[in-house]
Amino acid sequence: MQLTRIEAYGFRNLEGFVETSAGLNIFYGDNAQGKTNWLEAIYVLGSSKSFRTNQVRDCLNFNTHEARIRGEVLRGTLRKQLQLFLNDTTKQLFINGKREAVTRYLGNLDVFVFSLEEMDVIRGDPTSRRRFLDRGVATLMPSFIGTLAKYNHLLKQKNRLLAEASQSKAPETFYPQVEVWNDQLVEAGTVIHKARVRYIERLNQTLDENDHGRAIFGAERINLRYKSHLEGKGDLDQYRQLFRERLEVRLAAEVASGHALLGPHRDDLEILADGREVARFGSAGQQRSALILLDLAQVSIYNFTYEESPVLLIDDIDAELDRGRIEALLVVLEGNAQTFISTSRRSIANRYRDRAAVYWVEQGQAVNEPSSVSRLASQDPENSADELARAVRERVDQEESEDLGMQAE
Amino acid sequence: MLDYAEPVTKLIDELKRLPGIGHKSAQRLAFHLLRADRAETARLIEAITEVKERIILCSTCNNITDVDPCRYCTSPGRDQGIILVVEEPFNIVAFEKTREYKGLYHVLHGALSPIRGIGPDDLKIKNLLERLRAGEVREIILATNPNTEGEATANYLSKLMRPLGPRITRIAMGIPVGSDLEYADEVTMHKALANRHEM
Repeated sequence: MQLTRIEAYGFRNLEGFVETSAGLNIFYGDNAQGKTNWLEAIYVLGSSKSFRTNQVRDCLNFNTHEARIRGEVLRGTLRKQLQLFLNDTTKQLFINGKREAVTRYLGNLDVFVFSLEEMDVIRGDPTSRRRFLDRGVATLMPSFIGTLAKYNHLLKQKNRLLAEASQSKAPETFYPQVEVWNDQLVEAGTVIHKARVRYIERLNQTLDENDHGRAIFGAERINLRYKSHLEGKGDLDQYRQLFRERLEVRLAAEVASGHALLGPHRDDLEILADGREVARFGSAGQQRSALILLDLAQVSIYNFTYEESPVLLIDDIDAELDRGRIEALLVVLEGNAQTFISTSRRSIANRYRDRAAVYWVEQGQAVNEPSSVSRLASQDPENSADELARAVRERVDQEESEDLGMQAE
Repeated sequence: MLDYAEPVTKLIDELKRLPGIGHKSAQRLAFHLLRADRAETARLIEAITEVKERIILCSTCNNITDVDPCRYCTSPGRDQGIILVVEEPFNIVAFEKTREYKGLYHVLHGALSPIRGIGPDDLKIKNLLERLRAGEVREIILATNPNTEGEATANYLSKLMRPLGPRITRIAMGIPVGSDLEYADEVTMHKALANRHEM
């Protein structure tokens, strides 16, 4: 799967288009110029959602109130034009100029994003971790989204009933009704539990097989452990039975407390480095690396399942990653998947200039910079002041990153 | 000042209370009625009054009817040993269209939904149990909707009625007949696979 061109108007501060390269693409520039906005536009074009905000509408430019993102996707020899139109009230999706329903639209451009916002998966509350897992499961099992929605709906019904029961003078009279919702919760909950456990097994397997992992993370081994709320209460391999038994045992307690105490909506995921929790014992760099390894494992499961690579976005690649780790990561990705990265560091852009397409982003416009050789040749006396400023910035950057590199060693 | 003279505004407001009728539709209907001759409006008024005065619920099955017990319950050609349980009166029509089903019906007038404040006491369950206790019923077919609320209601009823002895069945769920597999959604497909049968 490859994006050959992306065009954006009225989307945040973006104006214009970029002809993208099949391998590594680097967007660099000063802060608040629109580097991440380009990555976001790619993500929105593929998924119709944003990774930075819950409401895509937030991405509308304040002045125009209308956004258009267009892209061309190449799969094998097949070319498709995707387009997304957005204004204050509607979102419309088009394939080859024809309007399509979201279910048909999705899957034409699958995008995985590695961003700092994702750090919540490690540092945040269990909700973020469950969301990370569920998103992964859903890429392999589309019916999972429906199961999850059903489970949440059942839970809402049950919670409302429990709240009512806890206020009642005769709470036992509610037991038969609660059991009825439990019956369905057990079914949906068991599907969710099994799907998550199976997915974690696959992630762990992939993490074990991944030799590059050590280069990115260091000597320790990353693996995951699903932490069911029913842990220690019986045989988790017989989940359906265990869940049902526990619900029976805790029926009175649930009614008394007025809300559901049991179910996979209370589960968590442990991310471990050599058996120790990364969230508690890892440095910021280790945490970001661990997350990137998880992302890479998700991508390779995707590759294996669909025999195709998704498009990868790495926002702010230099944040909390040192030079060695960035290098290791890019080596892993090289030739594997089309990758877009954003960075404010000129040194990174320069280091990979020969292996990547580099775009300088200024006020929402991305300009392709020729590779280093031709850039030197095209030096023009009229631009010497600009060039000087650029050279200074480059120098500062380089020193800065070398400092960081040394610190990491 | 009101947009229209008070009686017109009042009519529009009342029409707007109807389901599926927004402001524009209400306005159009109101002006239609305003222009219609008296005979036409009188017929409509009569129809509404009649439906409110003459339609009652069957004391046996809770179906809407103008005679009690209703025509299904008193039909001599029907099998008194089977009761098909539905949520709403209009669900009966769907089963009648098959011309296959020859048993009786029972209308619950809703499904369990704590979110909407509907519990067992709000459903017509009591007289269903009475019908069972009368002893002639061999089978109960639960035909509540295939959603979470319908499913919960079916589960609740089956637990409640099991001690009373009849065979309790649930209608099948899966791929609609005569349609194409490619149009089925994932959940339906999943159900259809799970409920596949030997050939």
